[in-house]
Amino acid sequence: MKILVPTKRVPDTDQKIVATADGTRVAVDHIPYVINPFDAIALEEAVRIGERLGESVEVVAVGIGGEGYEQQLRTALATGAHRAVHVVCGQTLDPWNVARLLRAIVEWERPQLVLMGKQAVDDDASQTGQFLAALLDWPQATFASRLELQGERIRVERETDHGIETLNLPLPAVVTTDLRLNEPRYASLAAIMKAKKKPLDLIDAEKLGVTIDPRIEVLRYRSAETQRRCERVRSVDELIERLRNQVGAIV
Amino acid sequence: MRNLVVAEHDGTHLRSASLSCLTFAKMVASVTNSDVAWLVLGHGVEDVAAEAANYVPVIAVDSPALAHPLAEPFSQVIAYVARARRIDVLSAATSTFAKDILPRAAALLGGTMASDVVRHELVDGQLQCDCPQYAGAVTATLRLTGSPQIATVRASAYPAAQAMDSQAHAVEQLQVVPAMLTARAQYEGLKSKQKSRPDVTEARVVVSGGRALKNSQDFERLVGQLADVLGGAAGCSRALVDAGITPNELQVGQTGKIVAPELYVALGISGAVQHLAGMKNSRTIVAVNSDPEAPIFEVADYGLVGDVYTVVPELIEKLQYHAACATG
Amino acid sequence: MTENQAADVIIIGGGVAGLSTAMQLAGRGASVLILERERLGNGSTGRAAGLLGQLRGNAEHTRMLIDGVAIVKELERAAGVEIFVQTGSLRIAETPERAAEIASLVKMGKSIGFEIDHMPIGEVAERMPYMRTDDLVDACYCPTDGHLQPAELAGAYIKVGRERGVRYQTNTPVIDILIEAGRVRGVKTANGDYHAPVVVNAGGPWSYLNAELAETVLPTAAIGHYYLTTRPDLAHPVDRFSPAVRDRELRIYTRPESGGLIVGIYDAEPDLHDMRKLPPDFDMSRMKAARDSIQVARLIDAAHQRFPWINERTAMTITTGIMTFSPDARPFCGQMPDIEGLFHCSGFSGHGIVQSPVIGLIMSELILDGKSSYDVKSIEADRYFDIPGYMERDDIEARCLAMAGNYYGKVERAQSVDSSSPSLVGRG
Repeated sequence: MKILVPTKRVPDTDQKIVATADGTRVAVDHIPYVINPFDAIALEEAVRIGERLGESVEVVAVGIGGEGYEQQLRTALATGAHRAVHVVCGQTLDPWNVARLLRAIVEWERPQLVLMGKQAVDDDASQTGQFLAALLDWPQATFASRLELQGERIRVERETDHGIETLNLPLPAVVTTDLRLNEPRYASLAAIMKAKKKPLDLIDAEKLGVTIDPRIEVLRYRSAETQRRCERVRSVDELIERLRNQVGAIV
Repeated sequence: MRNLVVAEHDGTHLRSASLSCLTFAKMVASVTNSDVAWLVLGHGVEDVAAEAANYVPVIAVDSPALAHPLAEPFSQVIAYVARARRIDVLSAATSTFAKDILPRAAALLGGTMASDVVRHELVDGQLQCDCPQYAGAVTATLRLTGSPQIATVRASAYPAAQAMDSQAHAVEQLQVVPAMLTARAQYEGLKSKQKSRPDVTEARVVVSGGRALKNSQDFERLVGQLADVLGGAAGCSRALVDAGITPNELQVGQTGKIVAPELYVALGISGAVQHLAGMKNSRTIVAVNSDPEAPIFEVADYGLVGDVYTVVPELIEKLQYHAACATG
Repeated sequence: MTENQAADVIIIGGGVAGLSTAMQLAGRGASVLILERERLGNGSTGRAAGLLGQLRGNAEHTRMLIDGVAIVKELERAAGVEIFVQTGSLRIAETPERAAEIASLVKMGKSIGFEIDHMPIGEVAERMPYMRTDDLVDACYCPTDGHLQPAELAGAYIKVGRERGVRYQTNTPVIDILIEAGRVRGVKTANGDYHAPVVVNAGGPWSYLNAELAETVLPTAAIGHYYLTTRPDLAHPVDRFSPAVRDRELRIYTRPESGGLIVGIYDAEPDLHDMRKLPPDFDMSRMKAARDSIQVARLIDAAHQRFPWINERTAMTITTGIMTFSPDARPFCGQMPDIEGLFHCSGFSGHGIVQSPVIGLIMSELILDGKSSYDVKSIEADRYFDIPGYMERDDIEARCLAMAGNYYGKVERAQSVDSSSPSLVGRG
């Protein structure tokens, strides 16, 4: 069985993230990059499936982007992926084009399962997995908090606003992962050593036969207001008024 | 700009978030004097369709295959209607329902989509949407350059549409071919939430308690209840975990969870750096503490000096009263 | 702002070293201003584990740490918080060399009246059901050891300091130290100049940069450090008063934390940080380890050998931060010969929390009295002054790195005590 895990390289959003003064981009020069946490959860789940089923599972991590991706794909190899594929692409891609490139990879690699994060913590779009499922015409299950592989089918518990929904899908399928699915492992010394010998294939995005066709243009970025007001309120009534009228936190 | 809003409902009533999305759609439509319609999918949706018809015309697709919100049939029907009626702007209120289904429909329609829109402008027939990114630290303004343009809309950013008390709009019962209603995914069930709180790392609101809380009952009564009133998660500082008052899973801080909610309410928490490390990316921080010099006040947006045992019950009571007035 | 811009003492740095010094100085009537680049206690102080092993390689240091505990107990009363958690501590040995280390430590400790004794391995196993003990050849136990809770300690310094009139100014990096004719006059910040005849450099990892502002050399370096904190595991419960453990052979130390276990490592090849390369708004509390960091992997590997239930899949958080090391792992406390009025208080080499209570007292004595009631020869600031091999940044970094890398690695013998050394018995 082959499980494909698309991964996105994102800035660590636990750091302080602001827009540049001119609003043209996000100031990430000093921010370390990580594998999108939800994709790390997907990779961990794929690795666990492999550990349960044994030799017959191959976990392939995919990253689409520029040079820096190699570091994240090495992390993926050190935390359990058997092989990594780096689709080299210098352009910034919106979810539509990422999904189209992933479709080409899927058609080449022929995995039985695509397991990826429910959203990337940079754009928070939560579109790519669903786009990919539609393009492939595969069944989908999003926001998975529990997975159970049963032969040619997969049972998925999904986190929804109204409770945990259970779906049962035939493979091949696209499943996106939610936070409570698992806690990703660290890399052990042995795994770090082994990862050095694992294959990391490079493919030029152009060779995949997909013409990049943007659907979204980013016009500007604006930082959320971070200057702490440090306002002392004198009563509960004043606090409620601030939360309602200044913050919009309550209706 | 022909607008279609995919309604979310519970089988009997529209979910109120959809009414906010309707406002978005009406605003967009009004720029070019265009139409807005609901799309109501489900099984046995007469009541929902009738309610929706109090606002704008309704296209209803009623089938046993749509009894549960499965992405495959829902997205197929949505895409079909959007194409057939030459819809320019397709939207739904942000929710797990919309996030699951609308992107799949969007892909069938060409992939032009913005998620969780909080503000919009229509410029030369193209939507420019403000969408929160980087866990809310940054707002990106996106121009949608394809067609149709698809959006999930954050309900709290748009006021709920009001029903006109003139006569109801039309409800069109639309039949679709069975092939469109097939799903390979099988629905097996839903375990409803039963008052369980959202996860502290993903909740929009976190109410957190610290040293001032003396025991688990007080924690539940003050922190827990305030969290419930605000629809949020409960968290705590290390001191309460060490005292055995709260479980480790609720701990926010350097060796606990890192959270970045829109609203973080720190009750009786002093604000040691180890705790701040876990919540300093929160959008708005409110602190209640009896010590006016507590370091938490340096990072709070709003600080109230007082005893949590008197402040919090008053806060809960007044919020509940306001909430009751709002819905009453 | 002008009234607030003069003080008797300006302290650069709001970590435990600066906070403790400020509190002690103010207690003796000095007007003190702390200038902190970011937030009080948000540097190394905020990342520390706080283990307190009172018995050091020599009697004087041990005395200092014991007195420090007494200061802490007073702070607990004044601030109404628990700071010192008396878990006791274990040192364990799995080789004859490490056993010899323990033997010499026990002998030295007993000779100065410190509570320490060998503990049979069977008893160790009973006390530490979650720890592997079948490979141990010896162990010793100090019942009066434990750890200081860093957040509570810093908070207490701030509270008592504030009551004594200490002024705290945060988000105020010092951009220059003002010196005239070999005497300190004050400091320059973006908010303007502050004047004082005494300036204390308690800048932690940034201390060597502060020294450079004064055109002097402080032989410290910024060394990375890692520890893990496990989340409570029902299969391996860790009691809050379970002893802290030092396993020098594996290079790890451990203590209980919030129902789980902290395990930290003194890695043989730690990271060196160039503090100049950090962004101006660097926030140490946001430092994170990469999931495939080799240092984290070594930490987990070492932890696993002593606690077999810990591995790369264990539910845990990794804390990483920066320590300030010196070439001999002892701090620099006092003035250098080249500048009058500039007192250094830095280089605590991973033991800042536990030394801070007594160091604050020592600093206040040095500043106000020109001398200390303790024998401070080994922590004199000028012990490497003008000595070749300790003046160039490259040399300093190499030495500090070697010290940090060997910190647990090398086998140590406690200094033998002669009969003229003061006993600990009878000290208040």
